[in-house]
Amino acid sequence: MVEKTGPAGYAADVIITVFVFVAAFICIIPIWHVLMSSISDGFSLLSHKGLTILPVGKITLNGYKMIFSDSNVITGYLNTIFYVVATVGCGFLLNVVGGYALSRDTKLTKFFSFFLLITMLFNGGLIPAYMIFDMLHLTGSRWAIVLTEATMAVNILIGAAAFRSVPKETVESATIDGCGHTRLMLQIMFPQCKSLFMITVLNSFVGSWNSWLTASIYVAGDRSKWPIQLIINELVSANRNFLETQNPNYDRNLIQYAVIIAATLPIIVAFPFFQKQLEAGVIRGAVKE
Amino acid sequence: MRKMTWREDWMRNKIVYFMMLPIIIYFIVTKYLPMFGIAMAFQNFNVVRGFFGSKFIGFENFEVLFTGDAFPTAIRNTAVMILMNLSIGFIAPIIFALLITSMRGKVAKRICQTICYTPNFVAAVVVANIVIMFLANDGAVTELLAIFGLKRQNWLANDNPPVFWLINTLMGVWQGFGFGSIMYVAAIHNINGDLHEAAAMDGASRWQRVWRITLPNILPIVLMMFTIQIGFSINMGFDKILLIYMPQTYSVADNLYTYTYRMAFGASTDYGLGAASGLFQSVISTILLLTSQKLSAKNNAIKLF
Repeated sequence: MVEKTGPAGYAADVIITVFVFVAAFICIIPIWHVLMSSISDGFSLLSHKGLTILPVGKITLNGYKMIFSDSNVITGYLNTIFYVVATVGCGFLLNVVGGYALSRDTKLTKFFSFFLLITMLFNGGLIPAYMIFDMLHLTGSRWAIVLTEATMAVNILIGAAAFRSVPKETVESATIDGCGHTRLMLQIMFPQCKSLFMITVLNSFVGSWNSWLTASIYVAGDRSKWPIQLIINELVSANRNFLETQNPNYDRNLIQYAVIIAATLPIIVAFPFFQKQLEAGVIRGAVKE
Repeated sequence: MRKMTWREDWMRNKIVYFMMLPIIIYFIVTKYLPMFGIAMAFQNFNVVRGFFGSKFIGFENFEVLFTGDAFPTAIRNTAVMILMNLSIGFIAPIIFALLITSMRGKVAKRICQTICYTPNFVAAVVVANIVIMFLANDGAVTELLAIFGLKRQNWLANDNPPVFWLINTLMGVWQGFGFGSIMYVAAIHNINGDLHEAAAMDGASRWQRVWRITLPNILPIVLMMFTIQIGFSINMGFDKILLIYMPQTYSVADNLYTYTYRMAFGASTDYGLGAASGLFQSVISTILLLTSQKLSAKNNAIKLF
């Protein structure tokens, strides 16, 4: 692009750059603050006001030691891993199979897509869903969470779009050669459009890792089934009054920061590797709506 | 081609139908049964008796709901927060897209973009708890505001009207402006470079080109995104409020979503009332979605891609 670089041009460049840097700073600073606080000295941190740009006092890992010796945190982690694997896995299967079925031309395809569309428009809401799961004896079970979050109609539509993107000629020649639906789906079509399923997998991974509401509804009473997010919420709010105990252990001040970092850092560090796919996902998703 | 008979269709597509089956069961259990379960909004619902045993009481739940004090507040707060999300929350990613695309230096640009996406991946629980930390009596934001002469306080306990709404909107902006800009950045990159070149030759300033070329060219996308967001506006981001509101701030923070949640899972439960307000919310949601569908059907921005 041609750009006139007079003094006004430079001024504009400077202003734009400053604004973008400020935006980036605001995005990263809350997490940075928590990260630096988590390795600070618990006691000095108490009297420290404002942002923690650098660790306060002596650097320690006591906060992390404390949370990783807490069996609730470990259970929470394991539960989250279970929920993520089961939700992403089930969702993936449903999206592939459903997407394939929706992309075929059968007499019931219209009905099927209408059936899915209805679920996008109408919503029974939180309470009836809870009551239905209660009747099915699913409340209090880990599967209530997996079932609730596995997939949505939009994901099936994205799956169908993925299968439709495979060239017709490929499908036709395979069918003429006597290839059945199962083989066509798994061996011929899926390998050609699997990158598109990446979108739904990534979204459901992030959603499931960060989810807390479903768990707070269905397994609220049973701590052994809590995902890490509920544990964080409890630890952070319960930790606020640790000072009221006798001889407070000042390292406990670090727990809230350490547990947030432990649950957030993995996903934040992983996502830049998937940035391209995520961006493609947003653009495709919006065009689909 | 001759139309297939049902028999031929079955012979050929049997397996496809078997594939539809698990999906249909899945959606019946998770979506359709709850839709019928909404009948409980018209019942004096009793958990022990269940759907079939509870007595139907017509619109009594709705009467209680509409005449209660909490409901008008919830409606007002929902409306205000939706409007703020659709205005401030909607414009922020567009402004960011304009800034980042006109920034020089490829590497710096990419790094800033990546950094600005991160909040999108931070869990609601974490965002809420960081907000609680930062806005507490001795929190970082409270300290910053104190420099500008604002009283030190727990800002989340402040029930003066715009405070909580602003906090909620800014929380959404923080999480969404970077990731939300992806569409617009793509749209801006799609604009034909010749347009800018020609305008620059004719002496148009950068500012003029943004107004006369960039904005008009991304307008269809902007409108498309706006209609999509209208459709989802009533279900977006309200779960976070459950984590940061408190009884003192119900007057400004309570909304249809939190009200429904509290009726079902709070301290004093009334499932019938909760289901009624849930149904109300669902009806509005459906109206918004249908409006959004209608509007986007008229919009042909999709052709741009």
